[in-house]
Amino acid sequence: MVLCGGKFAFNTLQLLAYEKFICAIGIGKSNNTIIDALERESEDNNLGFKSFPTKKSMEEMRGWIDAIKPDYIFCISFPFLLPESVLSYGNNKFINFHPGPLPQYRGAMPIFEVLKNQEKETAICAHFMNEKFDQGNIIFNDPIRIQENDTYGKLTVRLCERMSQVALNMANMLQFASNIPNQPQDESLAYYYEKPELTDTYINWKRMYADEIIALINACNPWNSGADTTLMGEQIKIIAATLLDKPHEDKPGTIISINNTVNVACEDNKQIAIEILSTEEGIMTAKEYALLKPLVANPISN
Amino acid sequence: MEIVGILLPRSTYYQTIGFDLYEGLRSGLKQLGRSDIKIVTENIGFGADKQQCYRSAEKLLLEENASIVIAYIGHQTAQLLRPLFLATNRILIVLDAGANMPHEWPTCPNIFYHSLHNSLGASLAAKEARKDGYKNAGMVTGYYDGGYLHTYSISKSFQDNGGTISFNHATGYKSEDFTMEPLKDHLNNFPESALLSIFSGDYVQWYFEQIKNTFEEQNLPVYLTPFGLEETMLGNAIYPGNNVKGIAAWSKKIESVENKTFIDTITELGKTPNLFSLLSWESATIALKALELTLEHKKSIPNISQDLQTLTFVSPRGEIYFDTKTNTSISPLYKASIISNTEGKCELQLEGKITEVNEYYKKLTDQDLNQTTSAWYNSYVCI
Repeated sequence: MVLCGGKFAFNTLQLLAYEKFICAIGIGKSNNTIIDALERESEDNNLGFKSFPTKKSMEEMRGWIDAIKPDYIFCISFPFLLPESVLSYGNNKFINFHPGPLPQYRGAMPIFEVLKNQEKETAICAHFMNEKFDQGNIIFNDPIRIQENDTYGKLTVRLCERMSQVALNMANMLQFASNIPNQPQDESLAYYYEKPELTDTYINWKRMYADEIIALINACNPWNSGADTTLMGEQIKIIAATLLDKPHEDKPGTIISINNTVNVACEDNKQIAIEILSTEEGIMTAKEYALLKPLVANPISN
Repeated sequence: MEIVGILLPRSTYYQTIGFDLYEGLRSGLKQLGRSDIKIVTENIGFGADKQQCYRSAEKLLLEENASIVIAYIGHQTAQLLRPLFLATNRILIVLDAGANMPHEWPTCPNIFYHSLHNSLGASLAAKEARKDGYKNAGMVTGYYDGGYLHTYSISKSFQDNGGTISFNHATGYKSEDFTMEPLKDHLNNFPESALLSIFSGDYVQWYFEQIKNTFEEQNLPVYLTPFGLEETMLGNAIYPGNNVKGIAAWSKKIESVENKTFIDTITELGKTPNLFSLLSWESATIALKALELTLEHKKSIPNISQDLQTLTFVSPRGEIYFDTKTNTSISPLYKASIISNTEGKCELQLEGKITEVNEYYKKLTDQDLNQTTSAWYNSYVCI
């Protein structure tokens, strides 16, 4: 049985279904199009299906599991914590696939956090579940390289593809292993990241270096429609930018020049070159921004 | 006492494969002054039974407590074992024939591939055919050998180098079904075609015999991959004509101290050195380095992996080092042709060493497989 949160699990569901490992699919809070699509696919493939749109609806989960009697339950981005009444279905029967390395990246959005922290590598962690988020015994962390210029979107797509193979490997392991090696999480390395808020997605020009700003912009693209900031007194979101290793003598956060990119001074004597940004007028390229803000662009070009 | 585990396959036409792999490893460790290391073995049959492969690896790790496991398996089986090695924090050294090409080249820090590069050799053999002036070619293989993606590699390379694949012929796998008769029509329709040939083991012998009998004196241009040029099989194959060449992974004729030591050591044991004893002889160096790094880095796999990637050593076939993107060993390949010995059987003649193997390997791993898949799980030549 797979409990999932939506689209992120689709590749995995397809592969596990193809390999005839799935007996039922449960989906947590998600949009109706996705729920309908999954329900249809489940019916067509003779799989059990149930939607759990609210925390309240979780009360029905144990009965549903008891009726289906799966050997194991895989969780992929399932949004709700499974209560003890559900977990008591069986010891080490619930396996979560966390899209970040554990115990270092507990929390709801590890993909954002690893990018923001400029990690070179992330992982999909398979772990047994307990009554706390991301804290059960680890079976393995399957590492994945983070590529230069990876955005949240690009990395999510790669993790989504890789997740299917990791889940299949886990299913094979459960089928063939006489026991599943696992170990408790090292609490001295553990960190729980809360769901990002504005303070986490906000560019502070005075305190952040250029590479940190680029990492934050990539980490916010596309789920937050860019990194939040104030530029020349206006609230905007920066969607795509690159590092410009060019010295300057301006205050951090000042627009230095606008050509094909909006070049902004950073604290560490470097600049970032903004390619795409979002303002109240809409999403636009740097060139469009220059046309829209002649008063911002002209004093610099004159 | 350090323990190294090895998963041994069996093969109908390479009946000594398990012994060769074991002896190569044992002798390699002894040569390196580490006879104290205990080798534990597990049988994985043809390598196609997932459960048998998994259970055997599990036994070596959890019951025998092997620090490292060496296995003659393919990428698909390595993928199956990946979580086990991740979970137990140990290194797996895959002895890879290189016959198949994965859709996703491996990136797991726990798994290192030591390869004979049959697909890469296939690609370079096709390139040689183009260099020799052949514009058209036919791929000739059998039901068994044709199931691995070296077939894609050989065809793709010929096409990428400007040639046209005019026909394919895949023959049966039983002796009564094995025929080269259809080649007559193909060669009538497309004369002057090179035969890009993928066979291994007994099939090489059957192929040569039929080429000789069906196309007597025609000296058809035949291009072969490393396993098609495996010397112990060639020694029993009828010489088919004077236009047979290809890419070899190793030969007894490579002149070096390292090769002489390897050949002498295995021969003194009353065995014939071959690709399998070579591969595991070489793996002894990799395993020892991995053991040393395991101690040094206190089992930290990322650190072990990073340092193991920098290992270079001179083996009987030349200098070996790792491609860091895929954790796969890169080794020299050799242009070779077939000559006749005094008994009318085949002998390998080396024509030159291929330089820039790493560059060709990178091209191979970058190419898109265009949805081509292989369902052959067993270790290559293990049928």
